[in-house]
Amino acid sequence: MARRATLLLALLLLAAGAAWLLLREPERPPVAARLSVATVLETSPEAGFARALAPRGFAFPADHGPHPGFRTEWWYFTGNLEAAGGRRFGYQLTFFRNALAPGAVARASRWGAREAWLAHFALTDVEGRRFHAFERFRRGALGLAGAEAAPFRVWLDRWEASGAPFPLTLRAAAGEVALDLRLARGKPPVLQGEDGLSRKGAAPGQASYYYSLTRMPTTGRLRLAGEDLPVRGLSWMDREWSTSSLSPGQVGWDWFALQLADGRELMLYRMRLEDGIDPASAGSLVAADGGKRHLARGDFAVAALTRWRSPAGGSYPARWRVRVPSAGLDLEIRPLVADQEHRGVFRYWEGAVAARGTSGGAPIAGRGYVELTGYTDTAKEIR
Amino acid sequence: MTPLLRRSGLRHLARHPWQAGLSVLGVALGVAVVVAIDLANASAQRAFTLSTEAVVGRTTHQATGGPGGLPEETYRRLVLAAGIDEAAPVVEDWVTVEAATKAAGKAASDSPRVLHLLGVDPFAEAPFRPYLGPGAAGTDVSALLTRPGAAVLAAGTARELGLVPGGSFTILAAGQRRRVELVGVLEPDDETAGRALADLLVVDVATAQELLGRVGRLNRIDLRLPDGAAGAELLARARRALPPGATVAPAGARAARTEEMTRAFRVNLTALSLLALICGVFLIYNAMTFSVVQRRTLLGTLRALGVTRGEVFALVLGEALAVGLAGSLLGLAAGVLLGRGLVGLVAQTINDLYFVLAVRELAVPPAVLVKGALLGTAATLLAALAPAHEATSAPPRAVLIRSSLESAARRALPRAAALGLALLALGALLLAVPGTLLVSFAGLFGLFLGAALLTPGATVLLMRLLRPAAGALFGLLGRMAAGGVVAALSRTGVAVAALVVAVSVAVGVGTMIDSFRGTVRRWLDASLGADLYVVAAGRPGAPLDPALAARAAALPGVSRVDAIRQAEVPSERGPLRVLAVDLDPRGRRSFELRQGRPAAAWRAVAAGRGVLISEPLASRWDLGVGSRLRVSSPAGERVLAVAGVFYDYASEQGAALMALPHYRRLWGDPFLSGFSLYLAPGADEEAVERALRRAAGPDRALAINPNRELRRRSLEVFDRTFRITAVLRLLAGLVAFIGVLSALMALQLERARELAVLRAHGLTRGQLWRLVTAQTGLLGLAAGLLSLPLGLALAAAMVHVVNRRSFGWTVRLDLAPEVFFQPLALALGAALLAGLYPAWRMARTPPAEALREE
Repeated sequence: MARRATLLLALLLLAAGAAWLLLREPERPPVAARLSVATVLETSPEAGFARALAPRGFAFPADHGPHPGFRTEWWYFTGNLEAAGGRRFGYQLTFFRNALAPGAVARASRWGAREAWLAHFALTDVEGRRFHAFERFRRGALGLAGAEAAPFRVWLDRWEASGAPFPLTLRAAAGEVALDLRLARGKPPVLQGEDGLSRKGAAPGQASYYYSLTRMPTTGRLRLAGEDLPVRGLSWMDREWSTSSLSPGQVGWDWFALQLADGRELMLYRMRLEDGIDPASAGSLVAADGGKRHLARGDFAVAALTRWRSPAGGSYPARWRVRVPSAGLDLEIRPLVADQEHRGVFRYWEGAVAARGTSGGAPIAGRGYVELTGYTDTAKEIR
Repeated sequence: MTPLLRRSGLRHLARHPWQAGLSVLGVALGVAVVVAIDLANASAQRAFTLSTEAVVGRTTHQATGGPGGLPEETYRRLVLAAGIDEAAPVVEDWVTVEAATKAAGKAASDSPRVLHLLGVDPFAEAPFRPYLGPGAAGTDVSALLTRPGAAVLAAGTARELGLVPGGSFTILAAGQRRRVELVGVLEPDDETAGRALADLLVVDVATAQELLGRVGRLNRIDLRLPDGAAGAELLARARRALPPGATVAPAGARAARTEEMTRAFRVNLTALSLLALICGVFLIYNAMTFSVVQRRTLLGTLRALGVTRGEVFALVLGEALAVGLAGSLLGLAAGVLLGRGLVGLVAQTINDLYFVLAVRELAVPPAVLVKGALLGTAATLLAALAPAHEATSAPPRAVLIRSSLESAARRALPRAAALGLALLALGALLLAVPGTLLVSFAGLFGLFLGAALLTPGATVLLMRLLRPAAGALFGLLGRMAAGGVVAALSRTGVAVAALVVAVSVAVGVGTMIDSFRGTVRRWLDASLGADLYVVAAGRPGAPLDPALAARAAALPGVSRVDAIRQAEVPSERGPLRVLAVDLDPRGRRSFELRQGRPAAAWRAVAAGRGVLISEPLASRWDLGVGSRLRVSSPAGERVLAVAGVFYDYASEQGAALMALPHYRRLWGDPFLSGFSLYLAPGADEEAVERALRRAAGPDRALAINPNRELRRRSLEVFDRTFRITAVLRLLAGLVAFIGVLSALMALQLERARELAVLRAHGLTRGQLWRLVTAQTGLLGLAAGLLSLPLGLALAAAMVHVVNRRSFGWTVRLDLAPEVFFQPLALALGAALLAGLYPAWRMARTPPAEALREE
């Protein structure tokens, strides 16, 4: 009797539980439907902006500052550092300016912005085999992000590069990584391409103004997961501004910047076409005294030796043989850590590398950075 | 239980379908009302959660300022100086889409489409509102950022408004007509996202500042701070970066507070819905008792044959369970249907009283259904306990005797009466002692149960009193009718009790609403003294340019202007609504003080030394004359001294009234929320209104209401607020009516044999009709007489206790003369109506057939 009642009650509860389970609402997914700022850096039309059509005179420190007439511009710092005991690190701190629309329109609100800023900060911990990468966006308004020529300063939030202009100070912190570096002058600016006009394709205006600071002795401190390490090494800065983007046939580029132990620097870029390499690809070899030799497409050869598969899909070349026969250079370039892929809004590989080979038959080593874009189909690249 | 017994129980139910049906219906209605209210509440809450979620996103903390918001410089300081990486500025408000741009074919009478203008910085959004941040391909953000007036909507909302990207429309934002261009649409990934985004008009933060006329200010800054020590350190840094008067609080706090605002309202609704279930429980009790009595022979025989008490107990409970389950299931279905109707009423009330909330649909959380089913079944089982006990407690032989039940019922009278008195006293005590709202409702239910338990005894007394009168009026039949009521007390007592509860609910709630309405009307009469009232069109409380009030004062025909600013400021006790007024001394007449000496109080207010607080605020925060309230303002922490308490029915949250210059000094907010115009004698209202609109210019959208219009609208809102209460009252009445019907049918059918004997002895059909009608009339009369005091007690308790504890208002109990006749008329009407069918059936049944029964 009582057992029956208990059984009935149990059944009732069971039924209620089953109903609960059946009718329970599914876990609510986060509200989704996107308004993407990635588009900001892709879609603004070229009309109304200045173009890089002919060589121009460069003036410093004014040209360290922004060139608002052009659509895109970047300050690209990379470097290889070493802490006491030989621990090696690579770093990257880059600032991108991207105009949203040409000209200026008066807005009542100070938030009214014509420029979007993007910054990437990355640290490669060679020993720890870790790559820490961070990405940040800002509008160029309210002093949240911007660039100034004198005294030199480019910043986004608290990430910044500043100086008058030397020694340059780089500061950035995110997550468990912080960087505070002093960059000395080193060699004078190298005007890449034809007196600073660097062609990226055959069409007129498909070029940028491009100069580099190829060897800046660097000292400073690095904080990683609570450890505070004094570091020293060499930095490289690339400065480019332009209005053109990749031409229809171009899918991406490979860029190499190497600081050789003998005091020379090698810079190469290959604009990749769907079926080959664009003849506009070029490079430069900077002598120990700062003298620059232009390298045309035919002056160098790059061969990828292996590939690395990204956990996010797609694969990148991972080891190269680079030859510059006219300079007697034959180098093998190897990433210090395989995975140095930025997987933010834009996917690309930008990493510290080591070079080893021969120069005129004598052994030579070097360090540097390599950038690979256009290898994944998920996002377009910016540079 | 053996299968045989179970079959016997089921067969009994099947052979008395009307009885089972009415029981099921009673449970179903009770459950339906409870479920419907629960669902309506849940839907409103869900809509609130969804809209909050869309706006709050993954924010952990929010920095807010006073009424003027935060200076945008604060954002810079948080990011650059304090180093808070994840911080997002927000500028927001409710705006109205101007009707002209609505899709063709929509009725002009549609209420205007209200959208939540959300101004954000897409670059800072990624960690907060994923639908706005960087991510997969989407809308053209360049246009959103660089084109003034650019906005995006959810695709569905754009369609609803008949807009395509590239199109433009006009909104009323902060009292101004503004042109907005749709530069893209958001395609929600799923339905939930769609609902959450449906009311958002997303713009860049710069655009929002410009559209809302709030350049340089932010409404708030959303922060994402990590847990633990790192988060605490960042929080401390953020606090240091804030200007005086600004605060950082966990993001949930705001939502929780908003929900807290509607709690009293929801509790009141739930309590009312439970009343309907209580009426249903009476019905079950009645039906189960009857079914036990009807089978007394069978049950007695079973017991005599050796069926145990436990088995009989289980048999009765099993039947109750079947009825309860069937009724509950039916009630769930009906509740969902009813909920669809009620959700609109609940949402309307929330919109009228609390905040803008778009409830698009009925949410049906399974928990509500499970709760409703369990409540219905449990209530049914509970109601069946007494009959089941009755069926098993008596010795088998006694169960066989029909009269044993009645004598047991009469024997139980003193005990029931004593228990009833005790419950009444307990209820009164709970209502009298200060306590929470729930305690008050417990007291109210105590009153009900006590009154219900007293009803049978009172009915017996009443019948004794009425018997001579009935005899004088209807002769023997009248006396027989009165005697019959007492003789079948176990039946009639319950029927009368159910009727008493229902009628007193109807009378009590009605009286409460009428009293409330009367109080509000008197208050409106006293406080609305001006001729014209001016506010920004669209969202009430949107800021108005103070220059407009000055221009209005200079118009011909205007004798004086009173200005008011309503704002919310942070205080030690939570957000405080402030009414900052610039009153001519004559305007002070609009405020009647409940506490404090008017002359001194107004002097203190005018000098900026003190504030007046409204009655609900005094009750909510337990403040009075002499109390002090600490508020934070950009000028720093300030203490407001309470100089008086005034009657106010405009807001249940309550407000503090202070002088406008005092307010401006503290919060530096120059805007007005509205102003009122007093016209010179003989001035033409419409001419002044036209002149004012001209002075305001074409882009400013003003709502100008003449005094009578405002009064009418205020009462309209009031009536709308109580519409749902009226619906509930009706439903409770319906359940009780079914209860009476079922009780009377049971009674008459049970007496079939007795009446047949009377018929066989020569009672005519007409006489039978009269006998039955007289009896039901007597029941109704008893119920009517008994429900008058209970109804009045209920009204008094609701007005003086529940209302005061829920909202803190003083309401004068108005007793309309008809209140004294209404319960009688209601009860008599219901009883006579319910008696029609049983009387007709009895009269129709040939005596021989009735005599043959059983």
